[in-house]
This record gives sequence, C-alpha cells and structure tokens, in this order.
Amino acid sequence: MFSFQTIVENLPTLLGAARYTLLISVLGCAQGLILGALLCAAALSKRTALRRAAGLYVSFFRGVPLLIQLLVAYYLLPVVGINVPPLAAAVLTVGLCAAAYLSEVLRGSINAIPKGQAEAALAIGMSPGDLWVRVLLPQALKIGLPAIVNELILLVKASSLVTVVGIVEITRMSQSIASSTYRYLEIYLAAAFLYLAINLVIAAAGRLLERRLTV
Amino acid sequence: MTLRLSLKSALFGLSALTLTASGALADQLSDIKAAGKIVAATEMHYAPFDMLEKGEYVGFDRDLFDEIAKELGVTPEYQDLPWTSILPGLEVSKFDFVLAPVTMTAERAERYAFTLPISDSTVAFVQRTGGDMTAPEDAKGKTVGVQKGTAQQAQLEAYGEKIGGIKIKEYGTPDEAYADLMTGRLDAVAGSAPLLDYLAKTRPEQFSVVKPPFGKPTYFAWVARKGEGDTLVAAINEALIKIQDDGRMAALQEKWFGAATELPQEMPEL
Amino acid sequence: MLEMLHRYGPDLLTGFGLTLLTWVLGTVGGLVLGFFLEMARRFGPRFWIGWPIRAYVEFIRGTPFLVQLFVLYYGGPLIGLRLDALPAGVLGLSLYGAAYFTEILRAGFDAVPKGQIEAARAIGLPGRTIVWRIMLPVMMVSALPALVNFAIILTKETVILSMITVPEIMFQTQTMMSETFAFVLPILILALFFWGFVEVISRFGRRLERRFTHYLLEES
Repeated sequence: MFSFQTIVENLPTLLGAARYTLLISVLGCAQGLILGALLCAAALSKRTALRRAAGLYVSFFRGVPLLIQLLVAYYLLPVVGINVPPLAAAVLTVGLCAAAYLSEVLRGSINAIPKGQAEAALAIGMSPGDLWVRVLLPQALKIGLPAIVNELILLVKASSLVTVVGIVEITRMSQSIASSTYRYLEIYLAAAFLYLAINLVIAAAGRLLERRLTV
Repeated sequence: MTLRLSLKSALFGLSALTLTASGALADQLSDIKAAGKIVAATEMHYAPFDMLEKGEYVGFDRDLFDEIAKELGVTPEYQDLPWTSILPGLEVSKFDFVLAPVTMTAERAERYAFTLPISDSTVAFVQRTGGDMTAPEDAKGKTVGVQKGTAQQAQLEAYGEKIGGIKIKEYGTPDEAYADLMTGRLDAVAGSAPLLDYLAKTRPEQFSVVKPPFGKPTYFAWVARKGEGDTLVAAINEALIKIQDDGRMAALQEKWFGAATELPQEMPEL
Repeated sequence: MLEMLHRYGPDLLTGFGLTLLTWVLGTVGGLVLGFFLEMARRFGPRFWIGWPIRAYVEFIRGTPFLVQLFVLYYGGPLIGLRLDALPAGVLGLSLYGAAYFTEILRAGFDAVPKGQIEAARAIGLPGRTIVWRIMLPVMMVSALPALVNFAIILTKETVILSMITVPEIMFQTQTMMSETFAFVLPILILALFFWGFVEVISRFGRRLERRFTHYLLEES
C-alpha cells in the first residue's frame, strides 16, 4: 500500500535538508559565474597560453563525471595540503564544475554583443578591465540569463551527488528516512517531487526576471 | 554544524581553505583537547549502531561515544558519510575519528589504530521469515547479499568456497541488501550478528536470523589514524574500560541489542 | 602497483565493459523510446497523449538522475517492478535519455521548413511518404548535433549506476580502493581515464556529425 502518511510525516525533515541542496546549488552557481567570467576572459584572450589553459580546464571539468570530481576533491586535495570542511568542499567542487559550463555560456553571450561596442569603449579610452566589468559582462549576463537559470537547475540536480562528501541534503536525507521507515517508493518519490518543485520555482523566477530585464 | 556558521565558511569555498597540520610527532589527543571538540564520522545507516531518526543521529555508537566524550572532556561532533568515503576520509584527515563499527582484521590493523572491541561482529545470515534455511550450510547455491568492501564480504566469500558455491551480490549499504531481501531479489543477507539480531527484533514478521553465526568470531571496534592517533586511542580505551566496569556499557547493550555481553578488555588476536 | 593491476585488472576491464554496455543500451533505448514519444506526441491526440508526455518530460528533466534510479530500483518492487541492478540501470538510463531525446527530436521536427512539406503535398505525395522521406531525414540532420551532444552527456551519467550497485568501472574502482586501502591514485586515474574517454567519444561524435551534415555546410 502506498502510504501518504509516511510522506507527510517526513516532509519537514526533507524540507530541512533542502536548505543544503539550495545552499550548494546557489553558492556553486555564484562561484561558477565568477570563475566562469575569468575563464571566459582567458578563452577570448589574445594570448595562446591563456586560451589553451582555459580550453583544457573546460574540457576536463566537462569530460569527467561530477561524482568522480567530488571524490577527487575529497581524497586528493588534503594530500596536497588543502583540507576544507565538507560543505566548503561540496560548494567548491560544484562551483569549479559549473564554471566550465558557465564560461561557455558567457562566451556565447559575449560573441552576441555587437563588436562595435567594445571598439567604441576602447576608443573613448576605457581600460580593458572596465570594458569587461562595465560593458561586456552585464550584457552577457542578461543575454545568457536563460542559460544561466538552466545551469542553476542542473546544479540543483547535480547537488544530489554531494552525499559522497558527507552533506546531508535532500537525497542523503531521503536515503536515511527510507532506510529507517522501509518506505522506499514513497520517500524517493517525495524527494523527486521536492526537486521538481524547486526547479519549477527557479524556472518561473528566471522567466520573471527575464521579462523584467527586457522591458 | 549550524547552517549559519557553515554558510559563512562555505562562501565561495575558496575562502575557507585551511592548511592541514603536518608533522610526524603530532599528538592528536592534546590537539583535540585544545580544540575542545572531536569530529567523528560514521555512516548513519547502520542500525542499531548508527541511524537517523527524524533527522537526528541516534544509536549504540552515539550513546557510547557521548559517554566517552564526557570522560575525555570534549564535545563530540558527528558527521554522516557513505561507508566507501569513511576510511579514505580518515587517511586524509577529513575528521578525527571513525565512529562506524569497523570489523577488526589483521590487514586493517596494519593500516589503522583500532580501539578495544565495542561489540561482537561474528557473521551470520538473515532470511525472510518463513524462508527455507535452517542452518548456515543451507546457503549453498543461494543468492546472498553483502555490503561491498567489508570484512563480512571476505568471510562470506571464504564460506561460499567451503560449502560449495554461494551467489554473492554486493551492496553499498546493508539497508539496500535488506530491501532486496524483502523484495525477493535475494535469498539471504550476510551481516554481523548484532545488526541482524536488531533487524529481526524490530521486524520479526519480515526477517529472521539463521542460527548459529557461520563466521569465525570477530569484533567491531573504532578506528583512528596510526601514529598521530595513538594517544587518542589510548584515552578512548581507558574510558571504554571504565564504562564497562561501572555498568554503563551493559545498560547500553541492553538498550540497543536486547542483551548484555562481556567484551575483551585487551586487544584480541587477529 | 603492478601487483594491483594484476589482481584487479580483469575486474576493472569488465567494469569498463559494463560502462560501455550500459551506455550503448541506455542511449539506444532512450533514442528509440524518445522517438516513439515524439511521434505519438506529434501525430497522436493532444489531450490523451500530449499532456502525459509533457508531464513525463518535465518530471525527468526536473529531478536528479540518482533519485530517479532510487525510485525505480528501490521503489519499483512495491508496484511489482522487480529488476536486478543492471537491467534497472539500463532502463533508468533509457527513461532518462528518452525525455531529453524526445525534446531534441521535437525541435528537429519544428525546424523542418514548412515550404518543403507544402511542396511535397502540392506534388501529391502521400502523408506517410512525407513523414518518412522528407520530414525524418531533414529533421535528423538538424537534430544530430544535439543528439550526439546528449549521448556524450549520458556517458558521464553511467557512473551514477554504481550507486545502485551496477558493477561498472566506478563500482569496481571503489571495491579495489576499499580492499587495497589505496584511495588517491585510483580515483585520480579514473578521472583522467574518463577525461580521455569522453574526449575520444566527442571527437568521434563530431566526425559523425560532419559526415551527415557536410552537404548543408557546403551550401551555406
């Protein structure tokens, strides 16, 4: 028998764990944007070495499954002397991975900005740094907004894997509840719908923001 | 770890980098006493030793370690990790101490510092109530689940060879194996006696233990890093003996396993 | 190191074989199912078929693959769906892939120029011929890059099957790590290995893409 009671009883616990899911995806996305902007600048740079390095970074973080990246971060970083608490390790790894994808999003958006703007900005004596921060990035964020929101949704889903570094977010909590109540179907479905609800809200908020920005 | 505190430390990950203290002569006990807390990791899906109830960590390990932390005069901090991440995490100093019950084996003792035994861990089979096994030998030709990478797995494999063939399926956690036993994917699950007794005690209509245990007598203990953790292990052993002698151990055993048993107060032969 | 390779080499190889197998079966299964879903949605009744498919796609795309696997593998038996880890993993991968593939195919169909369909109708081609000889080939060409791209993403999702105990490469590596107490090197090698594997697959995919779309590029 399908037991709705189990879901109702354990929903508050699951919602509590959802804070970590949100925290990791939002902070991971923020870190990904900052690092992604740097990577994107490197990828568009005139220097071959910088372009190569950015290309290598993107190819690595997009080529290796996130589950393996998380374990590498967990096992390997302390060996080279970097030991971070679990939550920081999770955010850091998710953010490093997001940066690879977001740098591509930003690059696409910057390519969509008319070249004349950059030329004009440089012509009136703006420094390359100012050009990036004041002209290119704000527009790239706006043009890339749908893709960035999409990336955030991907991160909410990807955060289900941080269980392996010791974060009790929605998925880990649902495993725990399922194993003590033996109500696998109910609890995992509840977890699935919780993710779905979060992602639908993010998608709706993204569309709202998009409309605001275009008006 | 509260959300607010961790939020600050997690901000962009990078800001929270801390370098690990190195140095071969580090003395973990005084470090822990200086910090006033000990971070212990376990997989909180291992009833009755470690489990989560309504999001809170409970179990035999928790109760026992709360007592030990009191003896040491430090605050315990508990971390939940999948079993496959626990020993590697200990090696790279992700936390101070492994609170998961680790079966004592000679290979592991070469690599890690074991505390005194905290419980018996001899391997037995559990089947669905009403199943056709009456003795462990009946496992011949059956499909049996076991947690991967555990000492129980090694014993099950050896036993399978001895009685002439057991189909073994590996699982990430014992819970998954029990679930598959319940759904009929498995005929039996091999595991340590205290876990199986607890399972059968809490859900007698679904599970029953096949008596007697088939494995050679083994024990569960906790684990610290070798060298650096030696002082910590000595202090914990001292507390364990005290807790056994004043009867607190027996009370906890009654509470979680249903019966009190004597434990060795010296390191058993491995 | 050599001794470890000798002892675990065969397991790691079969693990990699399973990684390849689950990937190929999951991709093919996802493509076939995704294609049927799209055909049903495009040519079937909107209310009875269109909406359930829409809900299915939203569900799969809005939830983590790991949770979908848990629902299928641990929750399935409650409704009588009792699968072993490997079939459950392949089915899970197919169900997951189908939701994405069907959306890619939809975009491909939408991109078929209306003029071509109208022209085919004008010269009196039957509806079935229009679908199979005009819409499908044209659709495939425009959808191919996205299809290849998603197939590459699926290679990475196969490691998640280790969490429901499918003994693929990740699972085998973890077993080896817990038995040998060697943790750092194996996981690092696995990461580099996957990097190379995905690079090779992407190169191959891009070549495939060029082969099927080169005449479009020449035109433009």
